[in-house]
Amino acid sequence: MKKALYMSLVLVLMVSVISACSSKNNNETKPSAIASESESASASASASESASPSEVKADTPPQKVELKVFMSFPRFKDQFESYFAQFKAKELAGKNIDVTIKLEMPNPDQAKQILQTRLASNDAPDVFTLHAIADIPTYYKAGYLSDLSDQPFVPKVYESVRKTVTYDGKVVALPLESLSWGYLYNKKIFADLGITPPQTIDEMNAAIDKINAAKIKPFMLAFQESWIPQLMMALSLGGTVSSAHPDWIEKMNKGEASYKDVASVFDIIDLIMANGTSKPFEVGNEAGSTDFANGKAAMWVQGPWQAETILKVNPNMEFGVAPLPVSNDPAGAMINLATSTSLAVSPTSKNKEVALDLVNYVLDDKDSAPLFETLKFNPVATMHTYETFPWITEASSYVAKGKAYLDLSLPNGVTDETAKLLQSYYAKTVSKEEIIKTLDKTWAKAIKTQQ
Amino acid sequence: MQWTKKRKQTITLLAFVFPALLFYAVFMLAPAFGGIGYSLTDWNGLNPTYHWVGFANYTEALTDDPYFIKSIWFTLRFVAFMVVLQNALALLLAVFVESRGRSKVWFRTIFFMPNMISMIIGGFMWLFIFTKVLSYIAEHSGFGFLDQSWIGDPDFSFYAIIIVSLWGGVGFLMVIYIAAIQGVPQPLKEAAAIDGANTFQTFRNITLPMIYPALTIGIFLTLNSSFKAFDAVYALTGGGPGRATQVIALNIFEEAFSFNSRYGYASAKAMILFLIVFLITIVQLRFMKNREVEA
Amino acid sequence: MSNPGTRAGERQLGRRVGSAFVFVILLIGAIFTLFPIYMGLLNSLKTEGNMLSNILSFPSRLEFGNYADAFEKTDFMRSLGNTLTVAAVGLAGIILFASMAGYKMSRTPGRVSGFLFGLFVLSMLIPFHSIMITLVKIAKELTVQGSTIGLGLMYIGLGVPMAIFLYHGFVKSIPRDLDEAAVVDGCGEIRLFFVVIFPLLLPVTATIAILNLLWMWNDFLFPLLMLTDSDSYTLLLSTNMLFGEYNNDWSAILASLVMAMLPVIVLYIVLQKYILNGIADGAIKG
Repeated sequence: MKKALYMSLVLVLMVSVISACSSKNNNETKPSAIASESESASASASASESASPSEVKADTPPQKVELKVFMSFPRFKDQFESYFAQFKAKELAGKNIDVTIKLEMPNPDQAKQILQTRLASNDAPDVFTLHAIADIPTYYKAGYLSDLSDQPFVPKVYESVRKTVTYDGKVVALPLESLSWGYLYNKKIFADLGITPPQTIDEMNAAIDKINAAKIKPFMLAFQESWIPQLMMALSLGGTVSSAHPDWIEKMNKGEASYKDVASVFDIIDLIMANGTSKPFEVGNEAGSTDFANGKAAMWVQGPWQAETILKVNPNMEFGVAPLPVSNDPAGAMINLATSTSLAVSPTSKNKEVALDLVNYVLDDKDSAPLFETLKFNPVATMHTYETFPWITEASSYVAKGKAYLDLSLPNGVTDETAKLLQSYYAKTVSKEEIIKTLDKTWAKAIKTQQ
Repeated sequence: MQWTKKRKQTITLLAFVFPALLFYAVFMLAPAFGGIGYSLTDWNGLNPTYHWVGFANYTEALTDDPYFIKSIWFTLRFVAFMVVLQNALALLLAVFVESRGRSKVWFRTIFFMPNMISMIIGGFMWLFIFTKVLSYIAEHSGFGFLDQSWIGDPDFSFYAIIIVSLWGGVGFLMVIYIAAIQGVPQPLKEAAAIDGANTFQTFRNITLPMIYPALTIGIFLTLNSSFKAFDAVYALTGGGPGRATQVIALNIFEEAFSFNSRYGYASAKAMILFLIVFLITIVQLRFMKNREVEA
Repeated sequence: MSNPGTRAGERQLGRRVGSAFVFVILLIGAIFTLFPIYMGLLNSLKTEGNMLSNILSFPSRLEFGNYADAFEKTDFMRSLGNTLTVAAVGLAGIILFASMAGYKMSRTPGRVSGFLFGLFVLSMLIPFHSIMITLVKIAKELTVQGSTIGLGLMYIGLGVPMAIFLYHGFVKSIPRDLDEAAVVDGCGEIRLFFVVIFPLLLPVTATIAILNLLWMWNDFLFPLLMLTDSDSYTLLLSTNMLFGEYNNDWSAILASLVMAMLPVIVLYIVLQKYILNGIADGAIKG
């Protein structure tokens, strides 16, 4: 009798604890949210603001919908928050749906890890960002991407960009950042010294000599985050393979080629490393942008996606985008065409309709252009009629001459490995031969695990 | 009668343990067994499907993964430095602080303070010191030797990590050692002093043997935390440049979330880490407990 | 000086020199310990340009702009509230459940008890990374993910082993006669525990509360994985999010760092005697 009593007592205790928590959970978050809202409303003391919610309450109460949105863009938090506020107003007016957007914006270097944990534990956000080239294949195969092919935004996206978010014949993401990139150079320094963007390694050497003679560092090195040194390899390998070894990737996938075949990719990398700023491992992406914007170096192997950051530091900075020379054949200097951050919709979303509305709204005929312009993104669709930025015009001029290629599709993991190895290469803890060996091995392993 | 009493006792025991056990089983044991399960698969942390691969992950980690082996050696080196330095410094500070009069409280308060701060926060604070303040001092004061690439040069960044970890950890052990020293009976020390022993001799022959149990705890804590070190390295170097300062926990983290995100493989590495910590801790406790009895 | 008559004086002098030496060492140690905190505080009160021109000097004018900015961007009061919720739920559960379990296991001889104790203690060695993903999956199933209360509940599971270990050791120092006397008085087991035993556990309870509070307060990776919405972010997560937003503006970053550690430092200064004694007791007796 007594033991039964004990057991039930413990159970009651447990149940009360758990139930208390779950009920508290619902009650507690809401009043506090309301409280903070009313606080801010009363603090602002504007009567019109506090009155507006009551006006909205029309005849039928709006349907309440909550969307979880995951974006790896903390630097654009303000822009997206206000854009989503516009969306909420539109959805309420047009469809009488009251959307609450739970926005999660982790740091970019943690974002992928958090997203994968969410996806793998069946807790996918309704809408999330991913990297078109690196992530779409794996995420698609795992079944985490909705087919967006029949969405209204699709026909508006430029053909060339649409290709980069199409997989297995379906459009699976909305492109946000489309890139045509090479390295960045300081136009003023180039003009002052009478340099035009070099197309061969010899020309690059000559330019470096001139810049050095003017007591300016030729290259900005910001190696704290490993993805930045990796960009050198992306451009150098891209140019080399596209101009001289078009079947290299295919052969690598079959195990019939090696990085030895393209060992010349290191020529330009060695040159950059030998002529760069000091202490690169203490300079991250942001610090690098600051230094580059302030003219601490003439060139930086970085993409125009840094434009917003650079111009925030120095609005008068004039920089250009040029293709990186990889050999003494000018044909090897090419612009890389790629799509990076894209927006996907989870197939398990409970409010898919609204999630799709949101995604379509990102390419809204009227409101999209101002958003993309403030983010300093490349135009990706027909409604982006804003005046293109000078660096895009410059890159496009190379593309028009055929000096461009679609970003190489390397197996998963090879890019990350390259990034680490290049850091070590600068720190002189690995040799060129070791890099070649390791990358060959990583490639083979990746092919094996993907099957 | 006897039997029922014992049974009743067991049931009361279970009733008392049940709530703790429930939470523990759900949030700790279940995921731990899940981790063991995944370590035998090729799951990539993303796909809904995976295959059983037996012990292949374990064989690969130990025979065909130079980075993992390297991170083990790096961690062992780190642990060795930490165990010696952290305990020696903590003991030294404890003895010194204990010898002070009124300033005792002040020093104790100050030395413990970093323990209140998250290593992520502390790490970033130190990053500022290493990258900005030290180069500024070097430039303006002539202490040229300070102007090193503390974060970027693997030779220095190892010490940078040690410095930050010591900063965050010494105070805790010091508090433990102070308490142990206070537990040493005063008459013993006085007797030794009358016998003509100097301060050092008293410490060596009286205090040290008396605080041996505290040393066991101190070394246990350092071993356990240093093997799992993550936050400080993550905030300071991220394991870089390249993989020069990669500790095991970081290697596992990276395997699970970047590269091929081989979660199954990463779980196998995590199990290996667990076994290493387990074995070394057992050996340490056995060894030191035995000596405690002798002393 | 070598006069044998002044030996006692020499000894005195030696002691004084030794004492001065000790003081200098301690002073250097203290400066080293406080240096990063001091530098952080100092430079958070300057503007970016002001900082770069002289990093060591006292700011010519105190700039609180960084703080106002960080206060707003981290949504400080709400983040603080979230952190407190997590810690309160976690602490209540850990202390209640672990004290019951630790006490009873310590008092009950036999294999079952030993096995259970071993089971709890073993997990103190498990690296968090090996349970991470499975834990997120389980949390999702039980719908404790994404809320601060849910996070607190999970901390109970992760925190009880160490607390049980400390309670288990501490209970040994409480005489058994007490239990027996109470049982003879007709006290039920549960009442016995709460009325007689639990108050006696207060010193070790204080230790456990401090250690766990610090852990939950400063934990980074676990809340990062569990809290899905920036409205429920803890203080540390909100601060971490700022790093992505600030353009390498160290003075702004430092201000947010200082704000994140301010509550614990204040708590520490107020309660330092209890905290330090609590930790010492826990380690020695546990």
